[in-house]
Formats: sequence, C-alpha cells, structure tokens
Amino acid sequence: MAEDKKKKSAESEKADDKENKKAAAPEKTDDEAKKSDEKPKDDKKELLDDDDAGDLILEHQRESIPLTRENAVFTRSKGNLISLKLTKPDGEVEEFERVVVMRAFPISNPDEFLSVREPDTKRAGQGHEIGMIRHMSDFDDATQKLFLEELDRRYFSPKLIKILSVKDKFGYLYWDAETTSGHVTFIMNNPFSNIRVLDDGRIIMHDIDGNVFEIPDSSKLDKTSFKKIEIYL
Amino acid sequence: MKLMYDLPEADKAVLDAAMDGEEKLMYCLPFTIYEDKFVKGYMAFTNTTMYKILDGKLLDTWPIIGSSDFKTEVMYGCCGFYAKVNGSDTLICQFVSGRDLPRYAVIVKACEILNEQHQKKVDIKTLKPITNSTPERFCPKCGRPYINATTICPYCMDKKEIYKKLFAMTKGIRLMMCFPFVVAVFSVIFQFVVPWVEGKAINEYINPSNGVHGPMSGFVVIVIAIVSIDLFQRALGVAQGRFSAIAGNKFTLMLKTLLYEKLQSLSLASIQRRTTGDLMGRVNNDTSVMQTFVVSQLPTYFIQAVTFVLALPVLAVMNWRMCLFVFVPIPLVVFIVAKVWDFVQDRNRKLWVLSTRTGYLLHDILNGIRVVKCFGQEEREIERFKESSIRSSDQSESNAKIFDTIFPLLGLLIRFGSYLILLYGNMLVFHREMELGTLHQINSYANMVYAPLMYITFIPRTISTFMTSASKVFEILEEEPDVQDIGLPIDISIEGEIDVKNVTFGYESYNPVLENVSVHINPGEMIGIVGHSGSGKSTLINLIMRLYDVNEGEIKIDEVNIKDISQTALRGQMGVVLQETFLFSGTIQDNIRYSKPFATEEEVIRAAKAANAHDFIMKMPEGYNTLVGEKGYSLSGGERQRIAIARAIIHDPKILILDEATASLDTETEKLIQDALTKLVKNRTTLAIAHRLSTLRNADKLLVLDHGRVSEFGTHAELLKNKGIYWKLVMAQRKMNQDVERAQAEKAAAEKAAAEKAAAEKAAAGA
Ligand SMILES: Nc1ncnc2c1ncn2[C@@H]1O[C@H](COP(=O)(O)OP(=O)(O)O)[C@@H](O)[C@H]1O
Ligand SMILES: [Mg+2]
Repeated sequence: MAEDKKKKSAESEKADDKENKKAAAPEKTDDEAKKSDEKPKDDKKELLDDDDAGDLILEHQRESIPLTRENAVFTRSKGNLISLKLTKPDGEVEEFERVVVMRAFPISNPDEFLSVREPDTKRAGQGHEIGMIRHMSDFDDATQKLFLEELDRRYFSPKLIKILSVKDKFGYLYWDAETTSGHVTFIMNNPFSNIRVLDDGRIIMHDIDGNVFEIPDSSKLDKTSFKKIEIYL
Repeated sequence: MKLMYDLPEADKAVLDAAMDGEEKLMYCLPFTIYEDKFVKGYMAFTNTTMYKILDGKLLDTWPIIGSSDFKTEVMYGCCGFYAKVNGSDTLICQFVSGRDLPRYAVIVKACEILNEQHQKKVDIKTLKPITNSTPERFCPKCGRPYINATTICPYCMDKKEIYKKLFAMTKGIRLMMCFPFVVAVFSVIFQFVVPWVEGKAINEYINPSNGVHGPMSGFVVIVIAIVSIDLFQRALGVAQGRFSAIAGNKFTLMLKTLLYEKLQSLSLASIQRRTTGDLMGRVNNDTSVMQTFVVSQLPTYFIQAVTFVLALPVLAVMNWRMCLFVFVPIPLVVFIVAKVWDFVQDRNRKLWVLSTRTGYLLHDILNGIRVVKCFGQEEREIERFKESSIRSSDQSESNAKIFDTIFPLLGLLIRFGSYLILLYGNMLVFHREMELGTLHQINSYANMVYAPLMYITFIPRTISTFMTSASKVFEILEEEPDVQDIGLPIDISIEGEIDVKNVTFGYESYNPVLENVSVHINPGEMIGIVGHSGSGKSTLINLIMRLYDVNEGEIKIDEVNIKDISQTALRGQMGVVLQETFLFSGTIQDNIRYSKPFATEEEVIRAAKAANAHDFIMKMPEGYNTLVGEKGYSLSGGERQRIAIARAIIHDPKILILDEATASLDTETEKLIQDALTKLVKNRTTLAIAHRLSTLRNADKLLVLDHGRVSEFGTHAELLKNKGIYWKLVMAQRKMNQDVERAQAEKAAAEKAAAEKAAAEKAAAGA
C-alpha cells in the first residue's frame, strides 16, 4: 500500500511539474521581449533559466476556458465522481482524475454557467477553475446525467411537502415537516433573515445546522401548512 | 466534542462481523444524507478501515491506511467527506454541516496521523484516538441548541442555581427590595378590609335590612377610616415607587459594572466568539430584563398570588355557592387567553419583523448613501422604503383594530362569573336572604380572584424571558478568562529579544493556523514578515502580543516566558499599528495619548511629528483639539494611519508591531510614513508585516510564512540567494514595476511620436 501511495504522489508531482512548465512558458516570452529592449540584470538571467518560476506566490496561472462538447470529455471516475479529459486551445491534452462541477447561480439559474474546477487539496491549496460550461444542454444526455448526479449531491435542498408543526421556544423555531427527502425536524433562529422569498415566489429556508429547504410554490401548499409559515413571509 | 457515538444494536452487530480481530474501533460518527434522503447512518473508523453502516446493513468499506487526501467539502445544504482511495477521489459520506463538520475535520486529521505513523513503521495498533475539547453547540442532554453563542441550554439549565446566584447579587439592596413585599402585604390587607368596611357602611347605615339606620357618628368614623386607608395606601405606593426605582437602578448599575469589568478582563478569543451586538445586548437589554423582573414583576406576582390564596377561602366561607360561580368561566378563559395569546404574539411578531426590516433598509441606505447617489438610484430606494413602510404600517393598523376588539371582549368574558354572582346575589337580596353590603363585599372579593387569574397566563413567559437573560449574564460573569496572569506575574522592563519556539496554534484546536514555528529575534532588529494572505502572519503577531495563548511550544521575551509576564507590563511596552485603524470618538490629542493618558502636550507633538502627522494636524483650524471618530472630522485613510502610528509610539515602546500598517495607502503617503518609521525603528525590535516589499527594505531579516510554517528566515541577501518564495516574490514585484514603467514609457513614446507626426503634418500643410 505504501508503494501505491508513492506512485500516486509521483504522479501528482508530475502533474504539478507539467503545470509549472505551462505557466512558465508565456512568461519566458514576456521576459525575452523585455530583454530585447532593456539591459537585463543578473537576477533576471537566472529567472529565465529557471523552470520553476511563477510557482506559489505567482499562482493564478490557469486560465479558465469555455468548455464544450468539442474540447471536454467528461466520464465517470473510478470513485463514482467526474473525470475530465480536456483538449486545450494549443492542442495539448490534460486529464483530471476528478473535477468539481459547481453552479454559478444555484438558485436563480441552476442549469447554466457551470464552473468546472480542480478540487481543493491540502497540498496545492484552493483548486482553480478549469473552465465554464455555458449551458448544460451543450453536452450529450449521458454527460448531462453525470452532471446532474454530481450537482444533486452537491446542492442538497429538499422541498417541503407538508409542514406538520412550527413551535417557537426561547427564540428558536422548531419545525417538523415532510420533505421530498423524508421526514425532518429542524431548528431555525431568526426567521426574518433565514426565510427568503424570491421574486418568482419560491421560498428558501436555512436552519441553524446549514440545511437548506425549498418551497417551490407556497400557494400550492395545503392550507394548514401554509398557515404555519404565512406569518414569516 | 463527541467523536464516538453509540451504534444501535443491529449496526453494532454488522460492524463486529465486518471487523477482523486485530482492528480497534477508534471513532464513530453519524452521517445524515444518503442517496438524496435523510437517514441516520454511522461511519465507523477503526485503525485501518472505514465502515459505512445504515439500518443494520454494511453499505461500504474503504481502507484508511494507504488512502490519502482526506478532506471535507462544504457544499450547498450539506457537507461531504472525501478521500482518495486506490488512486481515485471518492465521496465517503454526506452529512449536515452545522453539527458534524468539526467532527469530520478531526477525523481528517486522525486519518492523516494514522497514515503518517504507519509510514514511520509505528505499530498503529498502539495508537489512541485523538480527543478534542471544542465545546458542542448543542445540549448533550436534550439535543437542542444552546442559546446563541453560549453553552446554556434553556431547557436543561439549573433554575434553582440561578435564583441562588441572583439572591447573592442583591447584597446591599435587600432591605430596599423587601419593601415592595411589605407594601404588598399591606395592600392585600387593605383590599380585604375596604370591602368589609364598605359592606358594613351599606348594611348598617345606607341600606340597613332592618330599616334602622345607625348613628351618624358611626358613619362618619367609617368614612374617615375609608379615606385614611386610601391616603395611607397612596403614601405607601409613592414610597414603593421610589424605593423600587432606587433599588432597581442600584441593581442594574451593579450588574452592568460587574459585567463590563468582566468583559474587559476576558481574552480577545472569548470576546470574538461573540458578536458585538450580542455583548451589547447582554450589558444593556439582559440586565434591564433582570431589573424589571426583580423589582417589578416579582412583587406583582407575589401580590397576586397572596391575594388569590387569601381571597378564595374567604369567599368560600362567606358563600360557597357564589364562590363556585367564580370558577365557571375560568377554564374557558384560560383556554381562550392561551389561544388568543398565540394569535396576538404572532401578529406582534409579524409587525416586529416588518418594522425591523424597514429599519434595516433605512440603516443600509443611509450607510450606502454615497453609492446610492453615485449610481443615481434615489428614486428606486425611495420606492423600496415606501413599500416597506406601507407594509409595516398596514400591519400595525390591522393589529390595532383586532386587539382593540379582542381585549374588551375578553374582559367581558372574564367578568362573566361576576354577572352570575350579581344575578344570584340579587335574587338572595331580593328574598332577604342576604344583605346588600354582603353582596358588595362578595363581589369585591370575587374580582380579587379574577385579577391574579389574568396573570397566570403571563407568568411562564416572563419567567422564561428572565431565565434566558439571567443565564446569559451569569455566563459572562462566571467565565474563566482563558488568557490569565499567573499567580505572581513578573513586571519586567523589556529589552526586546523575542524567542518563538516550536509554536503551534489554531483558533479552533483542530485546525492549526501556525505549525511548529520557531524564530529568534535579537533586540533592536527589524523583522519583515511576508507570506500569502491567510498564511498566519497576523496570527503570529497576536501570539507575541499574547492576545491568545499558544497551543504548543512557547514564546519568550528576554528569556522570560510571556505567560509569566503580567499582561499590563507586556502590552504597555508594545506599540501596535494595524491595517484597519480605529480612532475613538474624541480629539486627536486624546487619540494620540490613548496609551499614556497623562502625556504632556510636548510628548503628543513629538509623537505626531515622528509619525509625520504634525503638519496635517496643524492645517486643521482646531489643531490637536479637532474631534475625530464616528461623528467628528472625517480623516483620510493615510491621516488616520499616521495618528495611529503616533498613538503606537507615544509611550516609547520597546517592541513595535506594524501589521500591514501601510497597505491601504498611496505610495506618496506611504513614503511619508516610511520616513517616519525609519526614524522610529532605531533601538526597538520591530515586526512589520507588509505586502509591498519596498516597505521592508530596511528590515534586518525577513521571515517568510507559508501555510502556517516558517519557510525562510534570513537577511535579504541570503533569501535572494536561496531562491525560495521570497526571491519569487521580489522577482514578481520587480517585474510588475518594470511592466508598469515599460508601459508608461511606451505610452509616452507613442504620444511623443504622435505629436511629432502631427507637428510634421502641420508643418507640411503649412508649407
Ligand atoms: N479570529 C479568528 N478566528 C478564527 N480563524 C481566524 C481568526 N483570525 C484569523 N483566522 C484564520 O487564520 C488564518 C490565518 O490568518 P491571519 O493570521 O490573519 O493571516 P495573514 O495575516 O497572514 O493574512 C486564516 O485562515 C484565517 O481565516
Ligand atoms: Mg493579516
């Protein structure tokens, strides 16, 4: 198993190296350009020779590109998440064992503007954006299904079907409700800021534990349920 | 924090069957989401393997040893625990963030340690589970949340304990606080006597049943008695009002002072755990709630209770049948009051929500008025405000309409019993079975029974409000300051040598911000600290100032552990300038001499000159007496910064700390401050954090922090030679400056060329 790990880290180092090279490439041309019109300093010469330049502090080297059916192939990873094979504008192919797909507008526009990112890791810090998908429908059905699977996991906001009771005690609201994901009880403080009514009439509710619940259309709730939530709207 | 949950029987059996004999169960945590459903499953972590168990079924197992990249990801509405198993990132389980995220963060750490130890060939069977002392946010007894930012469970708190503490606090004003109770006893007695005397007056003098009026002199005596009782009662009332005002104010004053003193003695960590609003609330609102309860509500309830307890038997003895009438409407009344109360509360809350929303809106708009005006959005904001105001005023109107109907009706209902009494009593009087005066007396006593009944429905609410407030106040009063002076702290005169040894620290213990940091700083040196934002630079400085205590390792100043130095002595010899400068409301002079209140004018001017602040201060008509702060003269960022620098140096500190003190300034102002600082750093140990490396060009040594570790430490030349992070930083900034210069040069050249061309064309045209 230890061997396994070593191999893995070697792989990832390789990946890192690749990235650095890529990042260093455009800089080189920049510096060369400079060299031509300025007297180069000694340090600078060393900078040019060094492959490693632009690491760490100079991060932000990855440039996000639009992802389409043509340049991006998403597949199911071994760990049942999403892998990506990306053909970059310069023709180079880059593979990601796992990418994270996120919504830019999870509430107002869930199916467009998806951000595809490297996962955050302790080693490399925050993951960068690889690219953006304009419409999910730009991709074939199988890929869309893959996306939705991941997105449904990442964006977990069960819909309230029936509100059984709401009790106010010591400044907290204790809710008991049926949702599309089963029966729940949850606790909310400050309903004033934690129940949001959107312009299109949907209601988004946050509890103290970080759960998010949604009521797609409050007028479609049964009468007793609606009465319970009405005063907070 | 609980890291070992008990498994239900069925799940435990499954786990036991799955584990091999060598394994030891280390942690067991719940997971709450599985395949888009809420579930109650468990993750069991042994020293080699993770097991995912749900409802008596083993869903999955993964190895811990050999897996890597353990991490938690915060998602929308939930969190995920991930690991790289067999080279592939895998979602291990999903859970609700609020309760379990800190737990899984510990597990991440634990899994990493397991792997590390395994690689070091340590026998992992001998490892013990790590523990974590972070308090839970939920009451372990009932699972309900603690009151915000406290560790008090409103359901499980010990109420007797609170009354005891409260009693202990009333020392010195007890006599005065007893007064309302004395008054209460008198008023109860009079309440009984007056109807009795009145009854007597009616029976014997006004409407005697035998038709014989008593002598006039007797009647006069009765009238005088009634009048003097009334006078006496009013006098008592006045006295009570005064005494309770005095006692109440004393009580609140004492409570507030105690609280405020305590707050000042608490560490930054405990203060920051709570919001300013919460703390202000405790000092202001919660103490008032306690005052009202102690000096006004408690005596009132006492009076009501005594009256009820006495009036009932008296009434029963006088006429038990009529006594029963009193109770006829009671069940109905209690039921209706309880119902109506909820309704009233709901409506009041709705009104409250609407008016707070309007308040927020106003606050927001006034704060952002510059933005509103800049973007010309006044119309829209007026509309928004109007809309919000209208809603709240509509609600207020409808509430008033409803309440003004409900309460009179309720009163009518409550009096229903007394109508019965009147009816029945009149019948008795009519048949000469009862005297008129007695009826009057009975009717009065019946009313005395009703009033307390009205209160009963309020009592639980008042008590619970009081309990919540009291426990919040006591929580602060009883908190042990976590950064504390030792028994006999040393008052040393600091030279300025700082020695940081193997320091590890995290704001939450499971998430270290600094790891194993060691630095030695000689007296009088200027150290520049650089690193990404979030790498722990400010944290290191907080530790050196001892705003927080280190978790591991030690910090020594002049060979003395800072925990042994008295905090006053320590901070008295440090001067600090932060990026966000805070000026108190007051004059510039007051602000500069904040750390040395009796500084002479000369000293103030000297400090201001050293900070290059003197000149701009002199440009203001009121000079050093200019008011600054919230309401006063608004200063620019650079000006505030320079006042802050003057404040930091007026007491001639041995250690000067600059945390991005010049980051928000333009280069010219920075140059001014730079010059000021060059003068200042001589003969003091200076720690300067800066993003612009040019700020640090005078530094003797540079300390580079990377993700909470010291990655480089040495002189400018040494670090450049090393070609580490610092070198890259220097290169990057140099390159950026050159880019700017080059771009400007190009632009200038282009303009020049264009001008020449234009001139040439003109010349050509002219020719
Ligand atoms: N009061 C605090 N409570 C909890 N975490 C904090 C607090 N202050 C800073 N942190 C965290 O500690 C880390 C280091 O912060 P800091 O020392 O301020 O970084 P720097 O000054 O280098 O930018 C950051 O990840 C930050 O989020
Ligand atoms: Mg900082």
